[in-house]
Amino acid sequence: MSGHDSKYFSTTKKGEIPELKEELNSQYKDKRKDAVKKVIAAMTVGKDVSSLFTDVVNCMQTENLELKKLVYLYLINYAKSQPDLAILAVNTFVKDSQDPNPLIRALAVRTMGCIRVDKITEYLCDPLQRCLKDDDPYVRKTAAICVAKLYDINAELVEDRGFLESLKDLISDNNPMVVANAVAALAEIQENSNRPVFEITSHTLSKLLTALNECTEWGQVFILDALSKYKAADAREAENIVERVTPRLQHANCAVVLSAVKMILQQMELITSTDVVRNLCKKMAPPLVTLLSAEPEIQYVALRNINLIVQRRPTILAHEIKVFFCKYNDPIYVKMEKLEIMIKLASDRNIDQVLLEFKEYATEVDVDFVRKAVRAIGRCAIKLERAAERCISVLLELIKIKVNYVVQEAIIVIKDIFRRYPNTYESIIATLCESLDTLDEPEAKASMIWIIGEYAERIDNADELLESFLESFPEEPSQVQLQLLTATVKLFLKKPTEGPQQMIQVVLNNATVETDNPDLRDRAYIYWRLLSTDPEAAKDVVLAEKPVITDDSNQLDPTLLDELLANIATLSSVYHKPPDTFVTRVKTTVQKTEDDDYPDGSESAESSAHVGDGITSPPASSSSVPAAARQADPAPAPAPVPDLLGDLIGLDNNAIVPVDQPSEPTGPPLPVLLPASTGQGLQISAQLIRRDGQIFYSLLLENNSPVALDGFMIQFNKNSFGLAAAGPLQVPQLQPGTSAGTLLPMVLFQNLSAGPPNSLLQVAVKNNQQPVWYFNDKISLLPFFTEDGKMERTSFLETWRSLPDSNEVSKDFPGAVVSNVETTLDRMAASNLFFIAKRKHANQDVFYFSAKIPRGVPFLIELTLVVGVPGVKCAIKTPGPEMAPVFFEALETILKS
Amino acid sequence: MGILFSRMFSSLFGNKEARILVLGLDNAGKTTILYRLQMGEVVSTIPTIGFNVETVQYNNIKFQVWDLGGQTSIRPYWRCYFPNTQAIIYVVDSSDTDRLVIAKEEFHAILEEEELKGAVVLIFANKQDLPGALDDAAITEALELHKIKSRQWAIFKTSAIKGEGLFEGLDWLSNTLKSGGG
Repeated sequence: MSGHDSKYFSTTKKGEIPELKEELNSQYKDKRKDAVKKVIAAMTVGKDVSSLFTDVVNCMQTENLELKKLVYLYLINYAKSQPDLAILAVNTFVKDSQDPNPLIRALAVRTMGCIRVDKITEYLCDPLQRCLKDDDPYVRKTAAICVAKLYDINAELVEDRGFLESLKDLISDNNPMVVANAVAALAEIQENSNRPVFEITSHTLSKLLTALNECTEWGQVFILDALSKYKAADAREAENIVERVTPRLQHANCAVVLSAVKMILQQMELITSTDVVRNLCKKMAPPLVTLLSAEPEIQYVALRNINLIVQRRPTILAHEIKVFFCKYNDPIYVKMEKLEIMIKLASDRNIDQVLLEFKEYATEVDVDFVRKAVRAIGRCAIKLERAAERCISVLLELIKIKVNYVVQEAIIVIKDIFRRYPNTYESIIATLCESLDTLDEPEAKASMIWIIGEYAERIDNADELLESFLESFPEEPSQVQLQLLTATVKLFLKKPTEGPQQMIQVVLNNATVETDNPDLRDRAYIYWRLLSTDPEAAKDVVLAEKPVITDDSNQLDPTLLDELLANIATLSSVYHKPPDTFVTRVKTTVQKTEDDDYPDGSESAESSAHVGDGITSPPASSSSVPAAARQADPAPAPAPVPDLLGDLIGLDNNAIVPVDQPSEPTGPPLPVLLPASTGQGLQISAQLIRRDGQIFYSLLLENNSPVALDGFMIQFNKNSFGLAAAGPLQVPQLQPGTSAGTLLPMVLFQNLSAGPPNSLLQVAVKNNQQPVWYFNDKISLLPFFTEDGKMERTSFLETWRSLPDSNEVSKDFPGAVVSNVETTLDRMAASNLFFIAKRKHANQDVFYFSAKIPRGVPFLIELTLVVGVPGVKCAIKTPGPEMAPVFFEALETILKS
Repeated sequence: MGILFSRMFSSLFGNKEARILVLGLDNAGKTTILYRLQMGEVVSTIPTIGFNVETVQYNNIKFQVWDLGGQTSIRPYWRCYFPNTQAIIYVVDSSDTDRLVIAKEEFHAILEEEELKGAVVLIFANKQDLPGALDDAAITEALELHKIKSRQWAIFKTSAIKGEGLFEGLDWLSNTLKSGGG
């Protein structure tokens, strides 16, 4: 290559980035500003301009507010990709947070909160502290929000620096906007913390109520949301609060209205006076109705919320059913929701009007809507006994129109009506049979077949009708096959003539030999046995009287309803799902050594930053061999906490939240499982514990070796309970002579071993410096007892009786002695062994307890003892008697502790 | 006549800002010097995590003065500011004799930089108001200034608190820059 060729490598043309770089360093202010604008433009369209970081940051110290804002915007976006260089911006932030212009001070503090770089958060504490006490309310308000953001980045720092106290002080601020934002920040922090951070006292209550009337609409939402979590001391206080809040119902902003409704509903639970409640219900109706004149999207949100509200307090909108009548131009999603609410509000008083509406809907064009309307008629019939006849006549009219899908839908609901009102409306069966040939949907077919079977004795040609279905038996969906099977058996039992006898042969043959469907086969064999052993018994079983049904579709479980009502005006109340099913939050707790209260176990301070609910985490590992000692699959990266407060554009929510795992506080020493002598200086103590309804493996690692140890990983062998780690082991580097404790969240039923249950738990721990260490732990059943193990006396008795005697196992504990019944009961309760009853038998006391382990296996426990005398006899009954040995081990530790 | 003349002069130099870096170990007094030059008063400072930049007009020359944090963690980023620099003001805490060796090493590292080849160097032997402060000769010795070749340099005894020596240094700087030394 000749020397001249080098010219091809040096070009006079510059790329965009060097050009921008030059402009950013220009000595002319205007040129610099233009350059920053170009950079922001490039950033917005997705070009990577992070290499210009220092050049842009150098433009930060400027009098020009526009330029400053642009640079801040750039910083928020790129600080994370240039964490080291971000430190260069610190001094400017500090300066800006002291700027004479409050806008700049607020801007600085807001931007600082958006920069999620660990290295610089510490430098930002002082400016933040200052801004929280700023003279200007706008700065204070911005600083309050910034505390919540900082908490998300580094909770410990926030608590150590006393920011929470400063925030609480801001609740007494004289500016309502500051109060609202402080409340918002505290509420946000509370949701991310396991410790009580923010509790409204009677003093703050009055502050909040005062601020409520003066702050902006969104501030009102924050305050109302906080108030709805307040537990009033008594009915009087609740009434007073509600009275102060009622004017918010008139607000033009629907968020305010819904939050106010939520708050009032929560407090109403405490109000006993029926007059007051009735009055409040009256007051809540008009604002809810008004919501339905907004845009369809808002209507939808309102309707989803109203759906919940009418389930709890139907009286509120009892007289407003007309508002929920569908308009022809309503979007389909609004129509569907309206229909649902109409059903809920339908009553004997308005049913005629409602039926007229439904009938009209049933003739519209949208198939889904029509189907729902037909179903709605049926559900009204089931709900309102006195209106059932009118509903049925409407259904019959609709069937006569002979629109295929209307007919099918009608037959499905009529089947339910028959179940609800047996022996009342069978006269219409003839009409139904006319449409037999048109049925092609499985559910409709199955319903029709059920009707034929159920009323075979009243339908003269029932055998013919069924026979027509039988021809296609092998091709039918399983739903229809199952119904055909049952219906044929019913027919045979009711009319044991030759025709049905032949049919039953065919069906049973089809359903046993010819099918692959185990459900169908099992059912067929049961019928077969029944019929061949004792036809009379078969009659008793198959033709037994059925319990009357009620309409419980779309009814929410009361506890779920409670939770959803507490979340009105959030996504949760729109989805009708509790928040934790779709939002993963990283719970952080910062412990303070002085208030560690380990032995009581009441403080949840030590529960580490675990990801969401450990039980729902994916399988920890597929490896069964501890020798592999692979790191358990890491739990899913913590989903970003929705940053509702992010108010600058370009805010990146994908921030990872590296929170230092708080270490295990001092408590009762954990049993040493790997002594230092075996572990080349590494000592491991560990124990399974239960905290906040979750199982954790509490570990303490002590490094007595001369080298620093890091990269700790843990693996569990297959075991009887399928215990596995729900996430990676979070242990920092261990310097020689130091120790670290951690709580590892565990999941169950992940890597189950075969064979009878035993308590062996084989654990492998490795690190980067040493070989893999194996040790054995003994699984105690204690941490498995769930909080919901308490049984009612009646169900205890029933379960006890229903379990065969072979499920009873008993054992004596000759060494155990109960000297104080109270303490023993407390100790049992603390381990989720719940006291049911006590009786005297001769000179002995007999105690009954219930407990439950995951997957719903209950234990019924009977303890027989004489107080103060050694010797306790324990008998347990459980569906899983193979667990008895492990159970007794657990019980023994309680009795002897 | 004098006014007219100075206007012409400023039109020659006024547009052009001389870019000056103030460097030195932490706690040498860089930020104090910057604001003493800019505002003429002593401000209370905290360690600079990052940088300060101010424009100082002196002798008809506009100086764009960059005061960079001197902490160990920030020193690596000094190099981001080297391009297009006409002059360096290196500030030494004359009373901090323990760290003079480090000051010297940092100083010579800077001089090695390719991008700063054309920059003139002004050294401030700062904190002369403190007892036990070394004088300019001793600092010259400690920093081994005599090793500097092919570059214009000068050292001044200063006290940022009292405001002594700073403008003399700036005088030298402006003259050197005007005469094309930079």
